[in-house]
Amino acid sequence: MNLAQALLSGLLIGGVYGLFSIGFSLAFGVMRIVNFAHGGVVMLGMYVGLYAFDASGIDLLVSIPAALIAGGLLGATLYVTFYARFVGKATLQQLLLAIALGLIIQVLAQMAFGPNAQSIRSAWGSQYLIIGTMFASYAQIAAFGVAVVATLAVEALLHGTRWGHAVRAVADDAEAAGIVGLDAQRINLGAFSLSCALAALAGSVLVTYYPVSPPVGFGLMPIALIATVIGGLGSVKGAFFGGLICGVVEQVASTAWTPALQDVPLYALLLIFLAVRPFGLFGRPSAH
Amino acid sequence: MMTRFSFNWIGIACVLAVASLPAWPFSDSYIVAAVIRTLIFIALGQAWNVIAGIGGQLSLGHGVFFGLGAYATAILFNLWGVPPWIGVWAGMLAAALVAVAIGGITFRLRGVYFALATVVISLAFEKLARFFVDLTGGDAGFALQFLGDSWWGLQSREPTPFLWPALALVVGYYMLTRWLLRSRFGLELQAVRDDEDAATAAGVAVFRTKLMGLLLSAVMTALVGTLHVQFYLTIDPGNAFGLFQAVQIQLPSLIGGLGTAIGPVLGGAVMIIANEATNWASSRFDVPGLDVLAYGGLLLFIVIRAPEGLSGPLSAMLRRRPR
Repeated sequence: MNLAQALLSGLLIGGVYGLFSIGFSLAFGVMRIVNFAHGGVVMLGMYVGLYAFDASGIDLLVSIPAALIAGGLLGATLYVTFYARFVGKATLQQLLLAIALGLIIQVLAQMAFGPNAQSIRSAWGSQYLIIGTMFASYAQIAAFGVAVVATLAVEALLHGTRWGHAVRAVADDAEAAGIVGLDAQRINLGAFSLSCALAALAGSVLVTYYPVSPPVGFGLMPIALIATVIGGLGSVKGAFFGGLICGVVEQVASTAWTPALQDVPLYALLLIFLAVRPFGLFGRPSAH
Repeated sequence: MMTRFSFNWIGIACVLAVASLPAWPFSDSYIVAAVIRTLIFIALGQAWNVIAGIGGQLSLGHGVFFGLGAYATAILFNLWGVPPWIGVWAGMLAAALVAVAIGGITFRLRGVYFALATVVISLAFEKLARFFVDLTGGDAGFALQFLGDSWWGLQSREPTPFLWPALALVVGYYMLTRWLLRSRFGLELQAVRDDEDAATAAGVAVFRTKLMGLLLSAVMTALVGTLHVQFYLTIDPGNAFGLFQAVQIQLPSLIGGLGTAIGPVLGGAVMIIANEATNWASSRFDVPGLDVLAYGGLLLFIVIRAPEGLSGPLSAMLRRRPR
C-alpha cells in the first residue's frame, strides 16, 4: 500500500510544515509582516539542532530549548532592527527587505557552515516503527509530536492568557489597542520573537531526519506561503492544517507521480484557493 | 554653462555615445559585450518597473515572462527551425497568457496575494523546466543551434550587431515609460498604486488597470528574453526562473528610482559596475556567494536608507540649479 504509506509520511512531515507555517502566519496576522526570511530561520534552527546534537549527544532535550532561545533572540533582533518600521503595512519595500534578509541569512549560513548537506545520525532516529505494511521512523514521530504539542501550546497562549488576548487585540486593531493602554510595539516584539522561535523549533526537530544545507530555507518558504493561504492568512489553526495538507499532497504526488515534481500540485492548490476561496479554510471573508 | 543642459541633452549625448561605441579607439568586443549585457539588464528593469514601480504590484516572478520569451524562441528554433523573428511573438504570446492567468486570479484581491502567487508560479516553471529535459535541456539548460553570422537566425559571431537593437529597446522602453507616466492609463495605474479605494471612487477600473499593466510588463519582459537568448545563445532554468534572477530584475529600478523613467537606466548602469566588481572580488578572494551577499546588502540599504533610489536626490539637484 504505497498510498497509505504516502499519507502517513505526508501527515508526519506535514506537522512540521504546520509548525513553521504557524510562525509565518502569526507574523502576518498580528503585524501584516510577510517574512520571506522565515525559511532562513527554520534553516538556522536546523543547524542549532545539528550542533546541539554534536555537542551533547542528546537530541531533542537539548536542541528544543536551544532552538527556541536562539530563534526568539534572532526574531527580536530582526524585529527591532528591520521590521518594526513596517508594522501594519505589507508594502513592496517590506517584502523586498524580507527577501534581502533571507538572501543574506542564506549566504552567511553558507560561509559559516559550508555548502554541503549535513545530517544527524542519532541512535533512535534511524529506527522504524512498523505498522502493518507502513513504517515511520521514531524521529518523524517525535517531530510530529513536538509540532502538535507546540501548536496546542500556541493556541492556549493566544486564547487563554492575558498576553494572548493583548496580541489578538493588537492584531484586530492596533490603534484601538493603543487607546485602551496596550503597548503595541512591545506586544509586536513578543509576537515576532515567538514567530521566529517557532520557525527555529520546527527546524530543530526537522533536522533529526531531514538533511540541512543553506538553501533549505528558501526551499521551505513556498510551503509556509501555501499552508498559510490555504489555512487562511493570519489563522494559527489554519496554518497548522494547511501544513498537514501540504505534507500529504506533496508525499502523495511524489509516490503517485514523480518526486521531481512533488511540489507542483501544491502550487496549483494555492492558485485554486486564491481563485475560489482566498480567505482560506479558517479565515474570515473580510480579512482580505 | 552646465545650467543649460537638461536631462534630455545628457540623455541624447549618452545614446549617441553608446551607438557609436564600436567606432571609438579604445573599444573592443569585450567592452561592447559588457555594454550589451548592461542594456539587456536595463531593459529587464524597465519592463518590471511598469507593473511594480508605476502600478505598485510587486512581482517576484518576472523571471517567468523572461524565461518564456527565451525558451519559446530557442525551442521553436532548435526543434522546428522557426526563426526568432517569429519565435519572439510566440514568447510574447505565452507571457501574455500567463500574465492574464496570474492577474485574473489574484488582481481581484488586495495586498500580498499577487506577490505570493508570482513566487509560486516561478517555482512551478523552474521545476517543470528542470523536469522536461527533452524539451528544455533540463538543469544544464538549452543551447541555441549556432549558425554563425545569420540574419535569418538573428545570430552573430561578434557582439557588435546586438548593440543597436539592445540600445533601441532601452530607448524605446524609456520613451514608453515617459509616455505611461503622463498618459491616462499610466495615471490610472499610479492612482491604483497609491490608493485603491480612492482610485475606485474616482472611477478607475482597478482590476482591469492592474491586469493591463501586468500584460504590458510581461510582454516587454518576454521580448528582452528573446534578445537575451539570441545574444548569450543559452538559457537554463535557474537563470530564467530562479529567485536570484527575480531579485536581479528588481535591482535596477530600486537603485535608480522606482516608478520613474530614468530610474532603471541609472540603476542598471550602477548595477553592472557592482556586478563586475563582485565578479572580480569572487575570483580574487574565492568566496562563493559574495555576489548574493552584495546584492542582498544593496537591497537592504536601498529599502531602509534610500527608498527613492538615486533619481530622487539627482533630479532634486538638477532642479535646484538656477536657469
